Amino acid sequence: MGRSSKDKRDIYYRLAKEEGWRARSAFKLLQLDEEFNLFKGVSRAVDLCAAPGSWSQVLSRKLRGKDKSEEVKIVAVDLQAMAPLPGVTQIQGDITKISTAQEIIRHFEGQSADLVVCDGAPDVTGLHDVDEYIQAQLLLAALNITTHVLKPGGNFVAKIFRGKDVTLLYSQLKIFFSSVTCAKPRSSRNSSIEAFVVCQNYSPPEGYVPNMSNPLLDHSYDVDFNQLEGPNRIIVPFLACGDLSAFDSDRTYPLQLDSSKAYQYLPPTQPPIRPPYQQACQLRKNNLLAKEDSPSGPLDDALSALHLGTSPDTNSATSGTSD
Amino acid sequence: MASPVGSAVMEIAVLVAPVTALEFLGEDFLLTGEGPILSVYSLQASTKKCASLNVLHNYRIHGIRPGRIHQCGESQFNSVISSEISVWDNDEEEIIVFGGKGVRLVNFNSAGQCLKLIGPLLELQDWVLDIHWLKAQPHTLLGIALAHNALLLLEAESGNILSFYSCVESCLLYSALMIGPNWDSLVLVGGTVFNQLVLWRPTGTKSSGQSQVERRLLGHSGVIFSLCYHLKSGWLASASDDRSVRLWSVGTLGGDAGCGEETPTCLRVLYGHQARVFCVKLTPSRVFSAGEDGACLLWEWGGEGKVGCTFKGHRSGGVKALAVSGGSIGCREGWMATGGADGGVRVWRVAEEKKDSKETQAETQLDLEFKGQGCPKVVRLVGEDESNTVLVCTDQGEVCLSQGDTWNVIWQGGAEFQSYCIMEITSIQVQNSNCTVWVCAVGNLNGGVQVFLIGQPGVGVLLKAGQGKVHSVLWVKGLSEGSWSWCLLASGSEGLVYRWTIKVMEDESGLHMKEETLLPFLLPPCAKRWLTAAVTLGQRKGLYLCGDRRGSLLLYAEREKNDTRNGGERRMDSQDQETENRQTQMGGPISPISTLYGVHGKQGVTFVCEYQDLCYTTGRDGSVRILTVEENVLKVRRVQRACRGMEWLEKVLFLGSDAPEVQENMLNERIEKRKSDQESESVAEARFVMVGFHSVHFIIWDPHRQEKLLSVACGGGHRSWAYKCPIHTHTDPHAHAIGHGTLVFIKHGAVMASHSLSSTETDVNGYTLKEGLHGRGISCVCHLGSLTKTKELSELWEIFVTGGEDTTVGVLAVNPQSGTVKVLAVLTDHISNVRALAAIRREETNERGRGDRTDTSLSSLVFSAGGRAQLQCYRLLIRLDEQQGQPICQVTQIGGHRLDEQWEQKRNRHKTIKMDPETRYMSMSVVQNGTEYVLALGCSDGAVRLFSVTESNRSVDMLWECFYHQRCVLSVATYKLEDTQGRKVLLLFSGTTDGCISVWDLTAVLNSKAGVSWQGPSAPFFSIPVHQSGVNTLALSPQREMGQMEENMISLASGGDDGQLSLLSIKIDQKEQENGAMSLQLLSHRSVPLAHSSPLTGLCLLSPTLLVSTSPDQRLCLWSVNSDGLRPLKVLFSHTADAAGLWAWFGVGPEGGAWVVVCGQGLQLFKLTEREMDEPNETVNRSAKEEERKKVMFSHCVSRT
Repeated sequence: MGRSSKDKRDIYYRLAKEEGWRARSAFKLLQLDEEFNLFKGVSRAVDLCAAPGSWSQVLSRKLRGKDKSEEVKIVAVDLQAMAPLPGVTQIQGDITKISTAQEIIRHFEGQSADLVVCDGAPDVTGLHDVDEYIQAQLLLAALNITTHVLKPGGNFVAKIFRGKDVTLLYSQLKIFFSSVTCAKPRSSRNSSIEAFVVCQNYSPPEGYVPNMSNPLLDHSYDVDFNQLEGPNRIIVPFLACGDLSAFDSDRTYPLQLDSSKAYQYLPPTQPPIRPPYQQACQLRKNNLLAKEDSPSGPLDDALSALHLGTSPDTNSATSGTSD
Repeated sequence: MASPVGSAVMEIAVLVAPVTALEFLGEDFLLTGEGPILSVYSLQASTKKCASLNVLHNYRIHGIRPGRIHQCGESQFNSVISSEISVWDNDEEEIIVFGGKGVRLVNFNSAGQCLKLIGPLLELQDWVLDIHWLKAQPHTLLGIALAHNALLLLEAESGNILSFYSCVESCLLYSALMIGPNWDSLVLVGGTVFNQLVLWRPTGTKSSGQSQVERRLLGHSGVIFSLCYHLKSGWLASASDDRSVRLWSVGTLGGDAGCGEETPTCLRVLYGHQARVFCVKLTPSRVFSAGEDGACLLWEWGGEGKVGCTFKGHRSGGVKALAVSGGSIGCREGWMATGGADGGVRVWRVAEEKKDSKETQAETQLDLEFKGQGCPKVVRLVGEDESNTVLVCTDQGEVCLSQGDTWNVIWQGGAEFQSYCIMEITSIQVQNSNCTVWVCAVGNLNGGVQVFLIGQPGVGVLLKAGQGKVHSVLWVKGLSEGSWSWCLLASGSEGLVYRWTIKVMEDESGLHMKEETLLPFLLPPCAKRWLTAAVTLGQRKGLYLCGDRRGSLLLYAEREKNDTRNGGERRMDSQDQETENRQTQMGGPISPISTLYGVHGKQGVTFVCEYQDLCYTTGRDGSVRILTVEENVLKVRRVQRACRGMEWLEKVLFLGSDAPEVQENMLNERIEKRKSDQESESVAEARFVMVGFHSVHFIIWDPHRQEKLLSVACGGGHRSWAYKCPIHTHTDPHAHAIGHGTLVFIKHGAVMASHSLSSTETDVNGYTLKEGLHGRGISCVCHLGSLTKTKELSELWEIFVTGGEDTTVGVLAVNPQSGTVKVLAVLTDHISNVRALAAIRREETNERGRGDRTDTSLSSLVFSAGGRAQLQCYRLLIRLDEQQGQPICQVTQIGGHRLDEQWEQKRNRHKTIKMDPETRYMSMSVVQNGTEYVLALGCSDGAVRLFSVTESNRSVDMLWECFYHQRCVLSVATYKLEDTQGRKVLLLFSGTTDGCISVWDLTAVLNSKAGVSWQGPSAPFFSIPVHQSGVNTLALSPQREMGQMEENMISLASGGDDGQLSLLSIKIDQKEQENGAMSLQLLSHRSVPLAHSSPLTGLCLLSPTLLVSTSPDQRLCLWSVNSDGLRPLKVLFSHTADAAGLWAWFGVGPEGGAWVVVCGQGLQLFKLTEREMDEPNETVNRSAKEEERKKVMFSHCVSRT
């Protein structure tokens, strides 16, 4: 298995590198837009859990168009810093904090957003029930901040895992949006349980007051026994989106796609930003992990030798628009 | 049988799921949580499961908290409670079990060994991370830590909420731990989604109504999965996604001490895991951590945190649960248990920390301080069991024996033996005596072979093996005329293997040695032409199996002499025999009668042996070959590869009885048995482990469990070694025991030992409480049949094959009554994910009745396909063992195929880029056509491929491929029809990622001659869009009960990524016209758009009117088909996450009913029966009790006492 292996297994990974997207997920938003016209008339958009920034990239390219309209305002929120993007304002913050919501509104000069998107996925544990729960919490947190910043009639798009309790999430979303669809872009692989909820026409229940301090949303998201095994499940329509003539994400393609253009390996546009395993990998690379037959040396020395100790945390303050 | 329509009952029969919770009950019991099932294992005398109960309905158990922890548990506060509880009946134990949002109180009676539910299932509104028993009267109170950084005080039995607190920081927690003797002084430690540890108290509540964070521990760069606190030392341990374990000094937590030290410090950062760390446990002097790499590390406190021991006992997927018993927390010996993603449970005895733990290096490897002349070249162990001594041969031609601390030169070879010297030893039985002596043979550069007694080096003979270098000397032991004889083989130059029988006799003057020269063997010509391994076969007198340096396996037969008693036997081949005899008199060497040239690769054969009528060979190609000798022809039955990177195999060791004397008896027995029972064709393989080198390590690998039993950093191959098996190997049925022996080896000119040879105690002694399956996802399952002796459920075994992401194919036997899952075989020929399985059962035709299926054995041809375009084919013969009543399995490898085989053989391939796609086989279907099998494969590169497999000549050939679809072909199904006039029809259905189902006419392939290239169709003759996106699964059923055109009507069911279930009713017409073209008529098309809320991945038509489907939404649905469409009959929650495959069949025996098996993140078997009117009340009550649930609401609850 060479480094080109992934290029064969995943055509969108290869295309993303060729077209300069930070991640293959860019195609998913593009295909969702094809189906739902999500970007139509949008001048204020929010990208939650934005890093590494491929969806912000799509927003930036699609909303601002060729004339680099100043009217369009895009805010990207993430705990991690990411490389700047033209026309995108970055907020390094927590989506469960009211302050983050306020900051978004500030950037929109007091106005609400037309579109909120979220492609965030949590750190997974490999246990499906835990992972699904945490993904649901992330989505509900995104929904919660969305209720603070989205204008009535606005749209919300988020990643969802189609697991055992997904219908409960649908019922939650249907409280706030008149139309909820489960959409699967063709660039998302058939084998993955990932899908996207496209929630259109934000219309919160009468008298609803957004509240960040109390995660009320979760508390009403509980299991009804009938939903488990009975027929009363809340089901939202499913829609596969994207052109059928587009590339097939499940197909393995030869490296030589067409005879006129020779294959050339391209490095990823953006490597992962400080993944949790970075230090452990560095240690393993240098054979410094503790083993039974070799006592681990003083780790501090090893770490300082690797210049990996405690790198100063980047400020949590807002970085300005870089254009 | 009638379809169980209308009043169907589905129930769980067997579940294998990741083990997500473990807890010890004193030193006698282990509690395990697997899915919603709580089980109790007894650890006394013989370990066994004693009780099992579904406690959490649809939640997975993540935590088990016994009401009292017998000894000073993880938190000493509990001992306070325990003294009070012990006033109650001592045999009764209250246990709280939780997982997800569910909490349940359970009672365990240790005398009666049964589990009982106490209250209803409490369903909370938030995820539970930890539960803490609190001292209170009259009711038991529970402190509950919730995932949104909040605390709840609950009455255990009633589920009434007494108090609720939250923290100002309402972020999500991945882990939480409560510390403290009572509610008022409780401290919560939370591992947040932001990689921090936060400490707060409910009593620290400010007027705002929420508690402030009092301490914050920073340092982890990943989320925190597990926490453990040790009160006495004031230490807190945390395990993280960043693959480290951190140890913090936090001081006393809880009680009057509040949140402990003002400024907690990080004492240790322990990096040792290869992947994420899921669990951590603290004892006074040690840290146990376990994670995704499948290892549990025991960290010694000394140094900067050293790994004292590694416990590895699970297949892929890692360790998900860890528990340490009170005994190991105290100072004595105790238990440690790990639960795996593979569903396995292992326990280990953990001894007290060694006092001399400072001598770190000496502990692991021991220099035997060899002080002889020259460099040691060959090392061997002399003696039986306890009284082992080390024998060394040096490059100075000396043989030295270790005695105590000294080394004695027992033999000096002189000039002839200097600079090159090889040695092999054996024990020989003295003639007419019961005693055995150890004999050593030493070969030199000039054809000299000295044989002498190790005990009396003066007694010996000097033999001549030609003129040149003696490449190897080997001892083989053969049975002749009822007694054993020893034969010495010396491989000389030009491929000649000289042979002598060596006898040791005793008379008045002492021991004598006598040799008799036999005819030499001749090796086939090649560059490195010498013998590397040899054994005599018990099957027939004078049969030798040999292996050479070229990797060939050779079968030699002793030439019968004219004057021997058995001479007459072979007279029939008169002329040849005579010429041969003439040669014999001339002393011409014997050539092999059967040769497998170079089968073990260019690095040579390393070992051959015979065990229970099968031959096992190993080579430096990383493979074990299992062979049979049929009519003097060597046949490879199966190849077993070692783990990745273990290319140099040296030997196999058998589990169970390995002691030579036992084997001897068995051999005699078997020879006797064979005479009486000629037709017993099935010989099952013995369980064996592989011994060899993996880079710089000496490894013992268990292929069945996919586990390393021993690893010694000896420096790698090209060295002499000897392994002393642990003494209890033949009494201990557990495989891991075999890895507790001692390795003696040569490293840098020194003789080393992995342990002290005299010590017989083993530090680590593991038991398998429950065997695991694949670990990572099971992609496909196929039911082969049912075996039963008495038709009773208790003796019924359902046989399955499974294919997994761990690249193995497993053969399983499941007993639905007891829930026992037995792994019969693990096949490791695939190099990538196994995605599809297909099987064809051979109808047994025996004397009793033609085509009558016997219930005690089954024979199936099994095909597996998967990643890297690989295809494998096996013949499985499974039967019930007469004595044990348990199934045993024999595997014969028919063949394999890979699309990119040529690429693998290409030289310099690392310098070029492989341009073709790395095709995955997604789905497979098989039909039998006479003696040939036709396989249809759906491929990820957009092709549909057809292969032909012939069992007799073991050929796998591609017949046809068509790239019509140009997109990934997710599913295929075949339909073969044969009418009374002998007309045949073969249809292929293919489902693709665009949601279309296409139908191909492949009838012509049935009539094509083998070897003649066949032009298949270039396009399907029918295509219909059915789904919005991928067609994941297809299922077919001919509609037999319909009218006269009966067999031409097909029900085709399909399941899609869109969650839709569709059913097409199709009529096939093969026109009587000249062109014979096929036409297809769609009679009906019914769909349920959102049959499942996630992709439909498993589908089976039990009958044309009954359908079963499953999906990662973890529902198993039963559908009935009638004129108005598909109607849901029953939905059941399945505990198999990520469901990937399904199989359903009607049961055998009078009970009838149907079975469904679902595979994914584990395996689950369901039983489907019609509801009976007179169902016993007891079961109704019991299930009603299980179903009982109560909602615990607290969103409105803001009362703070």
